[in-house]
Amino acid sequence: MIDNIIHAAFIMTTPILLAALGGLVNRVAGLVNIGLDSMMLAGALVGLMVASQTGSWPAALVAAALVGGLLGLLMSLTVTRLQANEIIVGLGFNIAVAGLVRFFLKSWYGTSGTLSLPDVAMLPRIHIPVVADIPVLGAVFSDHDPLTWAAWLLVPATAWFLARTRLGLRLRAAGAAPQATRALGLNPLNLRDASTVFAGMMSGLAGAYLCIGVVGIFNEGITAGRGFLALAAFYFGRNRPWPTAIGALLFGLFDAIQIRLQGRGLPAELVQTLPYVMVIVILTLVAITLKRARNKGA
Amino acid sequence: MSMAEFTPDTTIRLGAHSVTRRFGELVANDGITFRAHRGTIHAIVGGNGAGKSTLMRILQGMDRPDEGVVLVDGMPTVFFGPADAFEKGIGMVHQEFMLVPGLTLLENLVLAQEPLDGLRRIDRKKALDAARKLEREAGVTLDWDMPVDDAPVHVRQIVEILRLLYRGADVLILDEPTAVLAPAQVQELIVLLRKLRSEGRTILFISHKLDEVMALADEITVIRSGKVIGAMKTAETSKAALAEMMIGEILSRPNARPSPVGRTVLELRGLAAMDARRVLRLKELDLDIRAGEIVGIAGVAGNGQDELIAAVTGLGRIERGSVRLDGEDVTKLGLRARRERGLSYLSPDRAAEGLCLSAPISENLIAGRHRSAALCKAGVLQKGAIKRHVETLLDRFSVKRASAALPISSLSGGNQQRVAMARELDGNPKLLVACQPTRGVDIRGIAFIHQCLLDYREAGGAVLVISEELDELIALSDRIVVLYDGRVTGEVARGSAKVEELGRMMLGETRKEVAA
Repeated sequence: MIDNIIHAAFIMTTPILLAALGGLVNRVAGLVNIGLDSMMLAGALVGLMVASQTGSWPAALVAAALVGGLLGLLMSLTVTRLQANEIIVGLGFNIAVAGLVRFFLKSWYGTSGTLSLPDVAMLPRIHIPVVADIPVLGAVFSDHDPLTWAAWLLVPATAWFLARTRLGLRLRAAGAAPQATRALGLNPLNLRDASTVFAGMMSGLAGAYLCIGVVGIFNEGITAGRGFLALAAFYFGRNRPWPTAIGALLFGLFDAIQIRLQGRGLPAELVQTLPYVMVIVILTLVAITLKRARNKGA
Repeated sequence: MSMAEFTPDTTIRLGAHSVTRRFGELVANDGITFRAHRGTIHAIVGGNGAGKSTLMRILQGMDRPDEGVVLVDGMPTVFFGPADAFEKGIGMVHQEFMLVPGLTLLENLVLAQEPLDGLRRIDRKKALDAARKLEREAGVTLDWDMPVDDAPVHVRQIVEILRLLYRGADVLILDEPTAVLAPAQVQELIVLLRKLRSEGRTILFISHKLDEVMALADEITVIRSGKVIGAMKTAETSKAALAEMMIGEILSRPNARPSPVGRTVLELRGLAAMDARRVLRLKELDLDIRAGEIVGIAGVAGNGQDELIAAVTGLGRIERGSVRLDGEDVTKLGLRARRERGLSYLSPDRAAEGLCLSAPISENLIAGRHRSAALCKAGVLQKGAIKRHVETLLDRFSVKRASAALPISSLSGGNQQRVAMARELDGNPKLLVACQPTRGVDIRGIAFIHQCLLDYREAGGAVLVISEELDELIALSDRIVVLYDGRVTGEVARGSAKVEELGRMMLGETRKEVAA
């Protein structure tokens, strides 16, 4: 039972973590990406289609990352070049992509809401012998797919990238003081665009994961607001990769618990709100703790 | 103008020839010509709104002249951006420092020119070596891993200067470099700049503080209303002559005629207050201010001044003690209630607290008075009445403006302060809390504001002045109270205050110790 929940928690964490790392880099470079959810949704649909057409999961992931990155670029250009408000543009992308997806499903496949395709190549699970039989540890390490491994490896990689590489330093500068960055002859807008493309690609992967890593079909509500959970995760982690990953894991855990709790007498709709209610509870607790620490410290 | 007029001359490192820059009706630079010679310190001197900042922006490539040219090594040069100027070795230290918060000092130093190692990572060792080398050259020691946000202002300034050197600049333009520094730090900066000069670098600095100009510059160009008034070697001029050129006339010192004091307007008893980090900053403070009296607060920043201001105005909470305004206990009242009872407050931070820079001059002027029956009837602002009121006030305080409907950010700092002053003295307050009343204001503006305060005092007003300028406190105050570690450590009456004595009391010595 506990192993089941732990294993499910890691699965539910992966999409949140992928999008959260993308959004984190984006925010560090100066753009709060409200539109992560739209890029996730587009990645999910394209990922499923390519997985079905080609029968290759790597091709599906590449396609999902590309479409996510493209949406990211479009969104970024609207914000950085046309000086549109990032919150409004982000919300607009969420609504517009959801509408386009619905329209596309209807006109192309003639279905409404749900799309089920034949021969979908699912992500393989990596079974680690011996470890798999150890309680807890087995659930944590074994029978996960390559994308989950990649997501967790990206946590230290992101931390290292931001702290130690030239591009990482410049992204941080572009986010913290665009004026000063420009005065040094760098282009903060280009840097910001690059970070949004990255966020889009990561969200696209996150979406594809939901389709070809978890359920195997597409539904217009498949993201279930996970782009916003990702947003909450990097706010929780205050732009630091490890705490952000902890946040994503926490939300993934509540997602997994929520799935277990369904069909145990409680109304399903109410149980499904658990991760989102916990977001509010956790962020509030974090804010209170920080305030206490600030007042006490000094 | 033909190119034949110019010949390459590397002794003229940076200059301007007939530079004119217009903004609509306003001519910010009107045919400005000057030459800064290689290996010298050249000062551009002028009051608020003289056109110094526009000229600096042009020299640094952030703006282009409508007519005339920038000279580099004697030859006309066109800059299309700061990067072009930098290519010619010209870099600028801005008044509001251009360092990136959240990054360490070292990261800021190398940003945009990061040394890389074989794996294309930032080579921290190489960066640190470069930093240490610059540090030695400048004769300072810095903690390079400190985040910028924790670095004191003078350290940030040094990092800005070192960053220019790191990037290979040999002409440094400094915009009002001492505005943010304490006296001892000004001395350090002067030493550093002289050292850089001795290494053959050229330094151009803008200032309206004549003491520093006289101490530091080799050559001086004075500008007024966008025109060059004079250019001379420092050795051949004097502070008085510069002041006259800068403002066009000799200003008489504001004079404080003896005036009778009346009833007690402000009465503080046993005041204790904490700062935002819950550190007790104000400890058992007693203070009385009577009508017709100016009381100055002297002290090194952070000795309780901010908490005193917050306690008197009601902007901050107090731990213990009482505040009485004109005989009434206002300890528990908020700022609005205190204002209604005759309190006025001139904020030390014009941009953030004193004014709303994006709002029109007129709205800034009636802010807080908009509830008065004359200006507002049944919730509707009375446009005509407001206009008349605003124009009268602006004329009385000689605020130069194109129109009161323009945003107040279109005014120079000195004129902005006049507007703030006009608003706070409007409506006959009983007590004026004036904090850093002349910060960033030029000589003429300072004289005007000082006269306003003295006039108000003569008319029976009570003033609490909090200032970092000791000369200002000495010129204005009937009594100077020295604040040290949250307590009053001394009090000096008008005429008996000396800068040196006050300085020692500000560091914690009592009057008796100082006298001994």
